[in-house]
Amino acid sequence: MGGAGIPLSADHRVSTLKLEAISRWYGNIVAVNDVSFEVGPGITGLLGPNGAGKTTLLHMMAGFLAPSAGAVRLDETPTWRHAEVYRAIGFVPEREAVYPFLTARQFVAASARLQDVDDADAAASRAIEMVDLGNAADRAIGGYSKGMRQRAKVAAALVHDPKVLILDEPFNGMDPRQRLHMMDLLRAMAADGRTILFSSHILEEVERLSDRVLVIIAGRLAASGDFRKIRRLMTDRPHRFTLRSSDDRRLARELLASAEVDAVELRDGMLTVRTGDFGALTRAVAPAAQRAGVSILEMRPADESLESVFSYLVRR
Amino acid sequence: MTAALVSITLRALLNRRRTLLLALLGALLVLVAVLYRLGNPTAAESLDVTRRLLANFGIGVLLPLVAVIVGTSALGSELDDGTIVYLLAKPVARWRIVLVKLVVAWLVTCVLVAPAILLAGVIGQDDPQLAMGYAVASIVGALEYTAIFIALSLVTSRALIIGLAYVVVWEGVVAGLFSGTRAVSVRQHALAVAESFGGAGAGDAELAFGFAVAVSAVVTLGAIVLAVRRLETVELRGETS
Repeated sequence: MGGAGIPLSADHRVSTLKLEAISRWYGNIVAVNDVSFEVGPGITGLLGPNGAGKTTLLHMMAGFLAPSAGAVRLDETPTWRHAEVYRAIGFVPEREAVYPFLTARQFVAASARLQDVDDADAAASRAIEMVDLGNAADRAIGGYSKGMRQRAKVAAALVHDPKVLILDEPFNGMDPRQRLHMMDLLRAMAADGRTILFSSHILEEVERLSDRVLVIIAGRLAASGDFRKIRRLMTDRPHRFTLRSSDDRRLARELLASAEVDAVELRDGMLTVRTGDFGALTRAVAPAAQRAGVSILEMRPADESLESVFSYLVRR
Repeated sequence: MTAALVSITLRALLNRRRTLLLALLGALLVLVAVLYRLGNPTAAESLDVTRRLLANFGIGVLLPLVAVIVGTSALGSELDDGTIVYLLAKPVARWRIVLVKLVVAWLVTCVLVAPAILLAGVIGQDDPQLAMGYAVASIVGALEYTAIFIALSLVTSRALIIGLAYVVVWEGVVAGLFSGTRAVSVRQHALAVAESFGGAGAGDAELAFGFAVAVSAVVTLGAIVLAVRRLETVELRGETS
């Protein structure tokens, strides 16, 4: 493997991952399409529905997949075919598979040895404590729950104190307490100047953890930047609600009169309301029902799936 | 670094039940030799039968069967289940990974095959040199076979099936029928080594010792180079991309 001696960042911690117009296709299928961005210190969330190309993108960033076009560089070093970059990168794959015959301590210590870490056993113990796996560290991983495996994988990825940590769906299988613990750990690492990139298909995870968000849909970068800005875009988009009441026709008439409602539709015994102001509509429905003298039986968002939110972002 | 690689590979191989079952195949070879010897054959008969037993069962069946299973799983099982990511995400030269996997797979194959051949050879007839010759041949053949099968596991995800087909069709049938193909038969290379080290009773191999060793070395090196190149460019795809 080439790459030995290629300098990484002069700073001992700060590293930047740069994606330069990368695409990846499999035959006629384009999995990632002309994506460019930079990921620097702090926590960046890669958000997108299942099958959007997140894992393909992360694998290219981590040097496990060759871009069909473009390049991924860690500082100035291409990540593809340069094993030396793994001194600076820790990677947590989405796949659950971990050597089932090893204990977590053996697994993490082996990772430390493969990274040429001084005193691998002490480094492994530290990493295991960081992910709160101390009590189960001497049990074979084959008997672990999904959440415990996930933590063992994270411990193995950070045992060499990497400048860049890439995590593919790291919270899968973790219970709420473990999730909070892991979020605190990632925040602490980011505060220390490390570059952390994680993927998720769950909006709330990204919202709680990321300073910056990259939204990927159908292999394309749909949006990137500050999470609050993207959240606002998501919140201000047109919303649709379905309502059931004791008299849908009367309620529809009343709602049409309110300024918050853009349109109403009565079809197949279902009242659908469209609005551009999610908050104002929720406040307007009850008074409208009262004025019309009808009872609300049910009110639910019609298009709140992550996919529909993403589709909206793509269309913009 | 190397010790960690050796440890993971060795534990992965020895944890596989099918690898341990192969030890029973070696025991079967010894059992056949014991049962044959209990029949009190003459010295000339026992030499001839044991030689054929070691050549046809030991070198012809036991060695390639163990090598194909151990060789294709040394790296192939990690590629199949995705645990290879934990090796590839390390600053370890890919040639080092291949060489360590090869040496471990070779040693495991030798441990499962060579003692069984040696024991069967010693029990089946009276010439210890013949037994030693076939044991050495199995060690040389094991290196060539495991290099081929490790490279195969990096070329195809169906390495075990293709490897078994190669053993049966190429080594078992084609090399037996067409003398021209014997130059590139691992089995014939091993038999040439057995003849050279096994003394007068070891039989007459089809290939000259020097030629067999040279071709064996070229094939082994070629397989190693191919394996390293494949591992350098192996791509990991996600389950959900």
